[in-house]
Amino acid sequence: MAEIARSAAYRRGVVGRTFGHLLDSEKVFGYVLVAPAIIYIVALVAYPFGIALWFTVTNATVAEPLGRFTGLANLMAVLDDDVFKRALANTFIFTLTSQALQMVLGTTLAFVLLRKFRFRRTIRALILLPFTIPVAIGAMAWNWMLNPTYSVINWVGTHFGLFQYGPNWLGEEKYAMASIILVNVWRNLPFTAIVLTAGISAVPQEIVEAASLDGARFLTRYRKIMVPIIAPILYIALLFSLVFTFTDMTVVWLLTRGNPVNSTHVLASYAFQQGIVAGSLGRGATISLFLFPVLLVGALVMLRALKSRQLD
Amino acid sequence: MATAAAHIPTAPRRSTHSAQYRRNRVLKEVGFWSLLLVFVIFAAFPVYWMFVTAFKQVNDLYNLQNDPFVFNLAPTLDQVRYLFEHTPYAQWLRNTVEVGALVVLVTVVICVPAAYVLSRTKFPGSGALGIGIFLTYLVPPTLLFLPLSQLIVGLGLVNTRWALVVVYPTFTIPFCTWLLMGFFKNVPREITEAARVDGCSRLGAMFRIVLPISVPGILTVAIFAFTLVMQEYVYALVFVSDSDEKMVTLGVVTDLVRGDVFFWGSLMAGALIIAIPVAIAYNFFMDTFVRGITGGALK
Repeated sequence: MAEIARSAAYRRGVVGRTFGHLLDSEKVFGYVLVAPAIIYIVALVAYPFGIALWFTVTNATVAEPLGRFTGLANLMAVLDDDVFKRALANTFIFTLTSQALQMVLGTTLAFVLLRKFRFRRTIRALILLPFTIPVAIGAMAWNWMLNPTYSVINWVGTHFGLFQYGPNWLGEEKYAMASIILVNVWRNLPFTAIVLTAGISAVPQEIVEAASLDGARFLTRYRKIMVPIIAPILYIALLFSLVFTFTDMTVVWLLTRGNPVNSTHVLASYAFQQGIVAGSLGRGATISLFLFPVLLVGALVMLRALKSRQLD
Repeated sequence: MATAAAHIPTAPRRSTHSAQYRRNRVLKEVGFWSLLLVFVIFAAFPVYWMFVTAFKQVNDLYNLQNDPFVFNLAPTLDQVRYLFEHTPYAQWLRNTVEVGALVVLVTVVICVPAAYVLSRTKFPGSGALGIGIFLTYLVPPTLLFLPLSQLIVGLGLVNTRWALVVVYPTFTIPFCTWLLMGFFKNVPREITEAARVDGCSRLGAMFRIVLPISVPGILTVAIFAFTLVMQEYVYALVFVSDSDEKMVTLGVVTDLVRGDVFFWGSLMAGALIIAIPVAIAYNFFMDTFVRGITGGALK
């Protein structure tokens, strides 16, 4: 008995030691601990992406998810679809206009926030609100503010005699897209401003002061000194904001659902409309695949930014 | 503007300051505060509007003759009561807490070890893996919801909140791993080396030395993961259509609309109740968030 017990204990010891020993190798330890994260990402990001690629060349539907291989039929159909073309154009208009407005307003807001003033913390918290409340809720509040009958904006307008009846912001083609961009700028402005504040306040004051003593005006100081120094962080923040805006459907979906007459769809909302609402997985996947090239460029730029920083 | 004027440093007043100089100074202050005011109104008005809408009586809310900015009739809690008595709002809150807690658990269990080794050990491919995980954060829900919906069918989780527990870590893991890497990097290498020399195993050094002093970082990440879950809309919309299984954000913006009729009062009340706690939590961690997203470019 004693012998068996001893050998069992011995074996346990050996196993324990071997296992512990294996984990003591830096390599094994590293791979074992990082494995769950990698497995999760492969199973729920990489593998689904593969399925999405497969969907684009099949006629899969929600009812029959396996579908048959149809080659480029989806692509042809999509490229022939006027709503899709409109959505593609809208996506770029939406992203680029929002981004431009955010950069201009964000820089202004950043310099405002950088000054020391009373109640700074409270005011900052108020200004951050659009970004800190859930995006769906912010979009819904705007939907209510732009309501055709009860719009508070129109109430003010009519009251001050700017117009007799206010425009139907979300129901008329010419105003709907502008409203969507406005809400998106409202939502992302705090993020842009805060990133910029963080960047600008990291610029050594001595350099700015030296330049200012040398007679450099504000804009010159900004362009020639601050921008180059904060460029890496600016890049990454811009990229995130760009990618998130480019692929977003929440604001569009909650404000207009792509209406009036499908004029305000973006790629993401149209993919949702086709893939889930209409149930055509193949068509939907093909539409959302058009998001991919931009993502890829984004990822590559990001990679370069990260790499160059690691070298310092 | 009184506050602004009071804020001008009044210390040793030099007589050399001309009237011109002082006038410019005041003008500058006025300009600054007006600009700030415009930004504050733009940012915060929608939230004020939610607040006013949520507590107004229906007769007041839908009367176009009334000044919409103030309470013309006494404020009421009717909308909030309606929310809890006639809609599944309480159930949505429970669902959100349940899903949030589970996602946080999955996220922390997976992220802590990954972030630990990616930030503190060197092995072939460790750098690439770290960047790879970070880049996954760029993959948007709108690219993946179609295939994931079929994966959810395969797992038999259609139309349940459990589907969200499976899917949400796809975005919490990349972001939280990256954030945690920043925290772990700041723990000096010397203490783990000392522990190793004293005969502590690698695993032991992690559990007994580094994790205990990183508790604040891990808590931050947990709260973050939870707020990300509360913010999410697209996956919730795609995977859950059963009213009783909904997350609160989705429930509020979909179920309080019957056909084309919006129940604006209760909608805004429901929105406000969740927006405020999320906003406070986020506000508190905003700088950490920015640091995380910029990859720690700034110290």
